[in-house]
Amino acid sequence: MIAGLGLLLGVVLGLLLQPQVPLWMEPYLPIAVVAALDAVFGALRAFLDGIFDDKVFVVSFVSNVLIAALIVYLGDKLGVGGQLSTGVIVVLGIRIFSNVAAIRRHLFHA
Amino acid sequence: MGLLNYITAHSLDEDYAHVSAQRSSGDHPVRPGSAALVVMLLFGLMVTIAGIRTAHNAPVSQTNHAQLVTQIKARSAKVDARRRQIEAVQADIGTLQAQYSQATAEGQSLSTQLSRLGVRVGSVPVHGPGLRIVVDDAPDATSSQQRVQDVDLQVLVNALWQAGAEAIAINGQRLTSRSAIREAGSAITVNFHSVDRPYVVSAIGNPNQLPARFADTRGGATWFDLHAALGLRFDMTPEESLTLPAANRLSLHFATTPGRLR
Repeated sequence: MIAGLGLLLGVVLGLLLQPQVPLWMEPYLPIAVVAALDAVFGALRAFLDGIFDDKVFVVSFVSNVLIAALIVYLGDKLGVGGQLSTGVIVVLGIRIFSNVAAIRRHLFHA
Repeated sequence: MGLLNYITAHSLDEDYAHVSAQRSSGDHPVRPGSAALVVMLLFGLMVTIAGIRTAHNAPVSQTNHAQLVTQIKARSAKVDARRRQIEAVQADIGTLQAQYSQATAEGQSLSTQLSRLGVRVGSVPVHGPGLRIVVDDAPDATSSQQRVQDVDLQVLVNALWQAGAEAIAINGQRLTSRSAIREAGSAITVNFHSVDRPYVVSAIGNPNQLPARFADTRGGATWFDLHAALGLRFDMTPEESLTLPAANRLSLHFATTPGRLR
């Protein structure tokens, strides 16, 4: 499908180009990836629920990534970057797990 | 627990439900479009970059570790080398200190020897007990025999040397191995300095033994004769403390030692 094609293209592009990440951006990349993962699983669940929408996906993806990075950035400035990262990852992890559970129910009807 | 429940219940963005409700009686489910493609591409890119970064960082830290180990080994080898160097230098210091103290002892004995030699040669002033002998012409001298002549002084000095004098000066002129006592015109010169009457002969030696030994010598007898027969003045007084100056003409221009002087 088109989403899987995009994912594949992105991975191939990343492997081929290996773009340099600015140094200031590097600490926020992992948390942004986790936030993006949450948005992607949410979109997959919505797709299986039959309520998927392109615009909502884009908005949720971008806002998830930005807010996660912003929270960690703020935490770094306040000296509690590690704790805030942990909090963000816990919340996103729970969401990912429950979304994946819903997807599993959809796929296996269990 | 309320928070966890809330998170679990609202794990799906509510916007999806909102939008689909507005879409009203969805005739057909929306397929993911080009926007989804772009977002998924971005996601894949992010995942790849993060993965590559992490993979890059691991070998870097491993390299760092290896480098640190190499550096530690090199530095500790250097420290060992320095420690050995310190030991060698300390051994050197011990040797040098021993040499230094030996050299100092040698130098001290040499300088002692030098000052003792200087006393004998006349190159340093000397101080000690001895005799003071004042000789002069007879009070009413008419002939040259009644005056003190260079020969008389030579006899006197030789008698003093013979009696055991260790240093002699005439009118402050120290006698050395190069001294000459001779007549020049009407005056007597000692060390080529003319000396005036009365002639004061200072001799350093044992003040208790010098007079008796002097009297035993032929020169002493000669002078007692001169005193008794011709009336020359001869006053001999023992002195507790005499100071004789250093001789002023001692430099050698031609004489050298056959071998190198140790």
